[in-house]
Amino acid sequence: MKQTVAIALVAIAALAIPAVTQDGYIIQLLNIAILNAIVVLGLNFATGWTGQINFGQAAFYGLGAYATAIATKSGLPWIVTPVLSVAIVLAASLTLGLPTLRLRTYYLAMTTIGFGEIVRLIIVHWEPVTGGTSGLRAIPGISVFGVGPQGQIQHYYLLVVILALATLVAARIRRSALGRAMIATKDSEIAAEQSGVDTTRTKLLAFMIGAVYAGLAGCLYASSIRFVSPDSFSGVQAVLLMTMLIVGGMGSIAGSIVGALTLTILPEVLRFLGQWYLVLYGLGVIVVIVLLPGGLASMIAAFPLRRAGAP
Amino acid sequence: MTDQSIVTVRGVTRRFGGLVALDGIDLDVPRGIVQAIIGPNGSGKTTLLNALSGASHADSGSIRVDGEEIFRLKPHRIARLGLARTFQNIRIFGNLTVLENVKVASACNVRTSLFNVVASNARQKLTEADIEQRARHALELVGLAGRAGDLSMQLPYAQQRLLEIARALASDPKVMLLDEPAAGMNTTESMTLLVTIARLKAGGITILLVEHNVRLVMGISDRVAVLDFGRKIAEGTPAEVQRDAGVIEAYLGRRHRHA
Repeated sequence: MKQTVAIALVAIAALAIPAVTQDGYIIQLLNIAILNAIVVLGLNFATGWTGQINFGQAAFYGLGAYATAIATKSGLPWIVTPVLSVAIVLAASLTLGLPTLRLRTYYLAMTTIGFGEIVRLIIVHWEPVTGGTSGLRAIPGISVFGVGPQGQIQHYYLLVVILALATLVAARIRRSALGRAMIATKDSEIAAEQSGVDTTRTKLLAFMIGAVYAGLAGCLYASSIRFVSPDSFSGVQAVLLMTMLIVGGMGSIAGSIVGALTLTILPEVLRFLGQWYLVLYGLGVIVVIVLLPGGLASMIAAFPLRRAGAP
Repeated sequence: MTDQSIVTVRGVTRRFGGLVALDGIDLDVPRGIVQAIIGPNGSGKTTLLNALSGASHADSGSIRVDGEEIFRLKPHRIARLGLARTFQNIRIFGNLTVLENVKVASACNVRTSLFNVVASNARQKLTEADIEQRARHALELVGLAGRAGDLSMQLPYAQQRLLEIARALASDPKVMLLDEPAAGMNTTESMTLLVTIARLKAGGITILLVEHNVRLVMGISDRVAVLDFGRKIAEGTPAEVQRDAGVIEAYLGRRHRHA
């Protein structure tokens, strides 16, 4: 009940923002923050719930973005790009996950770091197709049979709706046998196996579902921001996405979103500090990790909204 | 013998480097009994349990559960075939509620598609209701129904042990392996455990019990197998085993002298 009220309040606030400010810079920043929130929600499946360290999320984000940019610039209709992005990240995550997720511990972390670097190198060096370090500009926008959002505010509303859908899907998976199997795998892999959970399959599914979130967010990034460059999907970005999850709260849906929004918006808010902003930013992250091991979500949970209990 | 046996172990051997932890173990467990496996520390009890449950495979031999060969199967396959277990060191899912812990196991033979989950359709709701109903039933049987909504890591120690039994029970097993279920329990808690084990047996589940507490073992077991240095040195009813000279020498005798 309280959860319903909280969700309603958040929804009203989200829908009211463009009424308060029409500043293009702010709306664009929010759009990127929402896209990041979708990517971090995806990261939460493998890392937050299943306990597998995944540094490949930025690369999946980039694969979706570049696939969409290249496809639409070469004249393919927009409607094929979500399908194309999903197909590419599914193939990539299956290829990476199948051999590594059978093993325990940190193999996935190392494999995904390597994968991120490979994707970045391809983007930088395959210049005729990817535009190299200068990226790709003037990417065609979202258009479904000639209908699509115009201007940043319409994009904002579309992205809010998609984030809401992504949240709903994550919440439904969490309340299903698959979601419980993910957390059981994190808490005790051997006890999960002995309770009948195929932990290899569970880890692979978590990793692939997360990749689909990133791929779709990448698709939307390319066609709503209309510009892609390798920096947005680098190894630094992978670490940043992980930081968003940790600061927001590992294993928490609300935390994933709050972490992504906070850490996307904060650097812009602190921009007036010049180069000192990084110091403050770093200190802030450390303070949250030390004082709130459960992330910002544990502050939210202090209000009795998130009863981990009765689903 | 084999026809009535629910668990048939033949020549199971496990080596750790030069150490032979299990040396050609044979064991037949008749359906519906409480079978205890006892032995001094390092005699191979937990190694045998791990081989049976697939947690750590044996090197050679054959293990059949209700006629199906399970040797070297992955643990989740063995669990789905009807062999559940608890752990000597508690391994609950601390970030799940008590009910959710048990639901992990009660979903073990339920197949659902990601499409149904995302659509949250009628079939998915039916599946979840079925999983939940069987989980609640298992919690009632061990007396934890009142704590269903609590985070499992907040349970006291003895109740965490009962939760592990409920979780094992929820997978609807034919055989349940209990690895030192009374470890760390006081007398009252052990009594509750005995009642629970008797209830499981009455429900038709065959119990394999590894336990240090000899009094508990002798009181509740129908048959006892004694291991020493990876070999089975005796087997029989509790009374027979207690009279066995080799057992007294290897296990009970040594304990008596120390005590």
